[in-house]
Amino acid sequence: MFDAITKYLSSNVSPGEAGSMFWATIYILIITAGISLSVIAMNWLERKILAHMQIRLGPMRVGPHGLLQPFADALKLLIKEDIIPQEADKFVFWSAPVVVTMTAFTTFLVVPFGPTHAVTDMNIGILFMLGVSSLGVLGIIMAGWSSNSHYPLMGSLRSSAQMVSYEIAMGLAIICAVLMTSLETGTGTLSMIGIVQSQASQHTWFIFKFFPLGFLAFAIFAIAMVAETNRAPFDLPEAESELVAGFHTEYSGFRWSLFFLAEYAAMLAVSSIAVTLWLGGWMRPFPNWLSGATWNAAFSLFPALTLFVLAGLCLLGTVRMPKIPQMKVQTMGLLIFGLLLGFIGLVLIIPGVRERVQDIYWFVVKVAFFMYLYIWYRGTFPRYRFDQLMKVGWKVLLPTGLAVLVATALWGLMPQLSSAILGVLR
Amino acid sequence: MKLKPLLRKMLLIDLIKGLKVTFNYQAPSEAITEQYPLERPVIFERFRGQPRLKVDPESGASMCIVCNLCALACPEQLIVVKGERNPVTKRKEPVSYTYDLSRCMFCGLCAEACATDALELTQDYEMALYSREGMVLDQAALERGQEPEKYVK
Repeated sequence: MFDAITKYLSSNVSPGEAGSMFWATIYILIITAGISLSVIAMNWLERKILAHMQIRLGPMRVGPHGLLQPFADALKLLIKEDIIPQEADKFVFWSAPVVVTMTAFTTFLVVPFGPTHAVTDMNIGILFMLGVSSLGVLGIIMAGWSSNSHYPLMGSLRSSAQMVSYEIAMGLAIICAVLMTSLETGTGTLSMIGIVQSQASQHTWFIFKFFPLGFLAFAIFAIAMVAETNRAPFDLPEAESELVAGFHTEYSGFRWSLFFLAEYAAMLAVSSIAVTLWLGGWMRPFPNWLSGATWNAAFSLFPALTLFVLAGLCLLGTVRMPKIPQMKVQTMGLLIFGLLLGFIGLVLIIPGVRERVQDIYWFVVKVAFFMYLYIWYRGTFPRYRFDQLMKVGWKVLLPTGLAVLVATALWGLMPQLSSAILGVLR
Repeated sequence: MKLKPLLRKMLLIDLIKGLKVTFNYQAPSEAITEQYPLERPVIFERFRGQPRLKVDPESGASMCIVCNLCALACPEQLIVVKGERNPVTKRKEPVSYTYDLSRCMFCGLCAEACATDALELTQDYEMALYSREGMVLDQAALERGQEPEKYVK
């Protein structure tokens, strides 16, 4: 038993492949905790960034710069009364948030945070991810239907129509990336780790492959993924100004927070698909241009540097805090938080740790960029009308996706095609 | 469709322009939010807030001569003035002066009517109370004016 546990440490594959139940469980726990933490962080960041985009300040009172606001909100949601409408279908109403949350979290089974940092490496990884994440629609329809109310029903119907139509464009864009994996090696792969490895072996991120084509496929995916996760400007299912809150209007307290958690987990999941397929997954930037051992070492310092910068910002905040007795506790808290961040940064400088962590770091940085984009879109774009949404999905993204797919296939077959044509001519 | 608008649409130029605007607004110096109890707003000079009865800074006597003009000018009739002639100085002095803030709409007609500029509407604005008690200001309260509330967490 103990032998099997320690044996995994010397192997160089994900725990799923090694068949190590113990380490898979550990990975799942870590990933679940990490997602929950990042949802909390996203909650705060979204409110702050969105506020600044709207020339406001956002939360400022609970903790320094509102840092403790998400915790206060979570506490509030947990102790709120849990209301189930009298006419609601109790069982379905109860299970809908569970379904949504489970599907959102299950997708992370195959997300490759690094060459070995994934729960498992399925040979149908990307299919698994698409399949499970589209099950989330089921939960949303269940929530809308069982609430027995007009707004949730409208929201869930909109949501299902929207997700179905955008999944097609999304699928076409994904097929383009999968096609690109089969070039040069001859055998394609659907495994998430395999896709990143084929980007490594082709020495390019797929966004730059076949120049406009890879980028176009990525752009289609980037638009479709916003629609998939019901975020602005495609947030018709939960349009605040029209449908109160859409499919989760009747939900309150903890169930509502499950929906919230699932929405953000789904955003993280689709962002990690985009990162894996087009942005080189765990690979650091400029692997070709700035190659060599020195650059590798320099780039592996980035995780520690980021934490040092964050710690420095916290210490700066401590210094700039108003010197009044009411702020004493906050100042102390910020100081301790900054020192903690600095300490973690110091740990990340240790050579053994920093080589293992940098894969995860680059993956997380890329996903964080996408999360920022989500907030940015929300702060900028007004909501689409439903017919416009359908028009964009079916009349723009779908034909473009098909064209890009065909063009990618032809471009990939160029050597064989040209030799065949030449052979015929001879 | 013409080529130029079509290209604009395809390359999402307008959307990118919009993104740029919101990105630039993110600088903390752009924020116009005022953190009220910590930093107090700038009140304009002609703002009409809490009423105040002035006293003569040298003698400390009220500047009110109980002419009743403010009570007559008030459209809500919320000012009640009673006075007596002081036998020594031969001036009329207020015995009781009540001002019902709960009915006041801060039109400022009373301050305009005041013959000696004794009554004025100040720039103090923190007049919210938890009950109706204390809404009717007596002479002492009007002369004392309002202390700005300290921000206590």
